[in-house]
Amino acid sequence: MRISVKEWHPEHWSMQLDSAVVLAAGEGTRLRPLTKYRPKPLLPAANRPILEYVLDALVDAGVEDLHVVVGYQRGRVQDHVGPTYRGRPVTYHVQEKQLGTGHAVLRARDALDSDFLVVNGDEVVTASMVESVIDAHTVEDVATLAVVESDRAPEYGAVRLDGDWIVELVERPDEDTYRLLNAGIYAFGPSVFDDIESTDRRAGELRLTDTIAEGIRSGSSVRGVRIDGLWSTATYPWDLLTVARDLLAAGRVDEPERRPGVYVDDTASVHDEAVLRAPVVVGPDAMIGPGAVVGPDSALGRHTTVGAGAVVEGSVLDIDTRVGANATVVDAVTGQGATLGPGATVPGGRADVRVGATIHEDRQLGCVAADRASVAGGATVAPGTLLGTAVRVGTGAHASGVVPEETEVRR
Amino acid sequence: MCGIIGYVGDATATLDVLLGGLSNLDYRGYDSAGVAVGGRTVAVEKRAGELANLAAALDDEARAGFAGPVGVGHTRWSTHGPPTDENAHPHTDEAGRVAVVHNGIIENYRALRDELEADGVTFTSETDTEVVPHLIARELQAGADPADAIRRATGRLEGSYALAVVVAGVDALFAVRQDSPLVVGVGEDEYFIASDVPAFLEHTRDVVYLEDDEFVRLDPSGWTVTDADGATVDKAVRTVEWEAEQTGKSGYDHYMLKEIHEQPRSLRQCLSGRVDELDGRITVEELGDLDEPASVQFVACGTSYHAALYGAQLLRARGILADAYYAHEYATAPAPIPENSLVIGVTQSGETADTLSALREAAGRGAETLVLTNVVGSTAARECDHVVYIRAGPEIGVAATKTFSSQLVGLNLLAARLADGGHDRQPDLVDALRGVPNDVQAILDESEAAAVVEEFADSEAFFFLGRGFDYPVALEGALKFKEITYEHAEGFAAGELKHGPLALVTAETPIFAVVTGKGEAARKTIGNVKEVEARDAPVIVVTDGAADAGRYADHVLEIPATDERLAPLLANVQLQLVAYHMAAGMGRSIDKPRHLAKSVTVE
Repeated sequence: MRISVKEWHPEHWSMQLDSAVVLAAGEGTRLRPLTKYRPKPLLPAANRPILEYVLDALVDAGVEDLHVVVGYQRGRVQDHVGPTYRGRPVTYHVQEKQLGTGHAVLRARDALDSDFLVVNGDEVVTASMVESVIDAHTVEDVATLAVVESDRAPEYGAVRLDGDWIVELVERPDEDTYRLLNAGIYAFGPSVFDDIESTDRRAGELRLTDTIAEGIRSGSSVRGVRIDGLWSTATYPWDLLTVARDLLAAGRVDEPERRPGVYVDDTASVHDEAVLRAPVVVGPDAMIGPGAVVGPDSALGRHTTVGAGAVVEGSVLDIDTRVGANATVVDAVTGQGATLGPGATVPGGRADVRVGATIHEDRQLGCVAADRASVAGGATVAPGTLLGTAVRVGTGAHASGVVPEETEVRR
Repeated sequence: MCGIIGYVGDATATLDVLLGGLSNLDYRGYDSAGVAVGGRTVAVEKRAGELANLAAALDDEARAGFAGPVGVGHTRWSTHGPPTDENAHPHTDEAGRVAVVHNGIIENYRALRDELEADGVTFTSETDTEVVPHLIARELQAGADPADAIRRATGRLEGSYALAVVVAGVDALFAVRQDSPLVVGVGEDEYFIASDVPAFLEHTRDVVYLEDDEFVRLDPSGWTVTDADGATVDKAVRTVEWEAEQTGKSGYDHYMLKEIHEQPRSLRQCLSGRVDELDGRITVEELGDLDEPASVQFVACGTSYHAALYGAQLLRARGILADAYYAHEYATAPAPIPENSLVIGVTQSGETADTLSALREAAGRGAETLVLTNVVGSTAARECDHVVYIRAGPEIGVAATKTFSSQLVGLNLLAARLADGGHDRQPDLVDALRGVPNDVQAILDESEAAAVVEEFADSEAFFFLGRGFDYPVALEGALKFKEITYEHAEGFAAGELKHGPLALVTAETPIFAVVTGKGEAARKTIGNVKEVEARDAPVIVVTDGAADAGRYADHVLEIPATDERLAPLLANVQLQLVAYHMAAGMGRSIDKPRHLAKSVTVE
């Protein structure tokens, strides 16, 4: 076994990784129409933006200096995170065009002068994962990255390990022999900036993973750290339901636990005759009316309303969403300010969903109702429906398939 | 949110470094400030209110007592408990030998205070912080050296804190943190400590970020960081690249734009716990059992006056006699106050001298007073019989934006509460209020204001029209515009146009017309729009589309449909963006327009 550098260079013990670059500039096009006004890092993981989980993990792991690379709809990220996060200063670096993760990291170059972390802003990670990378990284390493065991590795960046060292890194490999994926948590030395600059662009993009792969090929020491715990991300809208389910199952939500698996914010108002079925989380200023049944596997965002007698199951309702009296909402993902009127029905279940040119067969998705989409009273929405922003489904109408933004569906 | 600054080095510079640092931290918001300078003894000065109050208290004569080589300063933004001189930091022990500034919350302060009081210690403030200097003093008395005394004292604390301490007779500064930010600035023979780098950025860019449980001792010859066990920690000195101007603005170019974008959040905060969508009721806890007044007089200045005009209309629409007065006029030419009247001051800061004076005038004549304000424990909040908070959070841009929107929501809550004692259900209003944050978000997502104003940069003057509920926001739209662009802008009641102002209208004077709903007011305003169009004026209509006003306009700035009382709030968000983008295009000093101050504390 190779002796790690730390053990024989005591001065490396105290190496600090107190700066982190968070990549939050990309839209996440496969999550459209939810990303019309905000990038993927701001989509809800249960009832908080994914990005908050990332920032919490960094702060809890001792990071003092946060750099967020913003681009697509950057105002929304800035509005949400603000000038500081839990007291740590946040510096924003603008990536005007999304020309790859390497290009994004270069935006922060002038602000960093020693080893630093890079974390994808659109993946739910934990502090212990970040700590594992901090602990393993030494000044001798060109890069250190976290790897997690997953049968979905081929969908993401897949890696092969030999002991502590990464011997191969491939983006979305064709073959399914890979069992480890790149978790998107890295530590780098300052030399990475030059390495990125000398990396070849691919399809116009400068990718961090290409730089690392190049390093591996040329024999640099790229360390891999196996991490465990809940690593979760969303590629498609229905994945947000899985992310919520995973987080709820693990109790990884902020709100106080009232009874096992039932998390309700102090400012929420839940009628005495409403039923909360665990696991479920109810965010700040949410209101749930008499006779409503919410849960299991449901997350209500800030300032949401569920009217009397409504049923919400297996759904993620984002900020300002309103569900009318006696509506039924199953397996739905809503954007900000969506409205499901009185008696509206989203029966839920499995269906084929079209994303771009691809049909994804048999996905569990009641519907997506993007920001400010509204489904009027008595309307029904077929499983797998994607309602674009500000779509209006009229009273008693039936919506299905992909409904483009700002269109009206009538009976 | 509080701010801390500490300094050790050149005795002739100490006080100026502290005051400069506090001023640089003003983006964190504050309602009181104080400094302590150590040397042979410790001198303390602290004041509620503006930083200027503190600076004024430290005149040339007073400064002689503040000439030591070490000092701490603090700005306080209270969210609980009033900002008074006593509650301002620094806090001291009974002998005045130990001075402490604190950012954070000491959760077990009650138990510690009881323990100290049982020991015979007398407290002079209501703060959680004051236990710290007393604890340190007790350890010093027991013979500990200053560093050990502070360590032992802070070992007793639970909660979050960044603390900076000076001790009489010790030319050193001590600081420690737990869950609150603290950063050391490394200069030449002088050192700094602060909550945030901008506090000392003009003196040094070399900084050391402290971590939880780390303790730092700084004196003119250097600094040492130790961990919880007292072992020296080797800390890296880092060089900060960014400019002071960028901090606090969340990546925006100006506080004003940041604050415009904060509105969905600040409005949710204003509504929190006050509207119940399920039973359609509105409650304003602060008001207790205040009865419906026979009549209401509003007093206010500037943007708050426009909110007051709107508030008076809301009350009149509910059958309560109500008028709005400029506070400065009211103070010198007061209106008669009928029996059972309520006089309502509207002031963001709660410190506006003109408004305070009008409220005092009214109280002196026996009226019941109420203030609608953003600042907890401000002078107006303390002096009035009743207070309603708008909960908008600190606003730094001199041009009020998010606080105006929250004032309008606050006035709706107040009007609903006053008119029926809060007993009636008003599901339509409650429904609309719950929808306002999302409606504002829709405007922020979709506004075309930036593109529209570009075309009119070289115009002679800008006029703003509105009628009914839209009239106050026509005035506010013009005020915002003139404040930050320095261009001539005026707002008119739309019906007043043909009684004079129409003479000013030409092809070089763009007209911004606010047309909401489809009632009589909207129809008549459309008539006025046609009048100006006939004089070749470019017309920009801000509308919900209900009255089809867009067909008479060159440009339309859309707002979502909502209750007629709330539509002006939405229209105003478009006008905020109009003013901002015009001023930004002209390169104006948007956050600090010439000659203007955030809160006007002189009459």
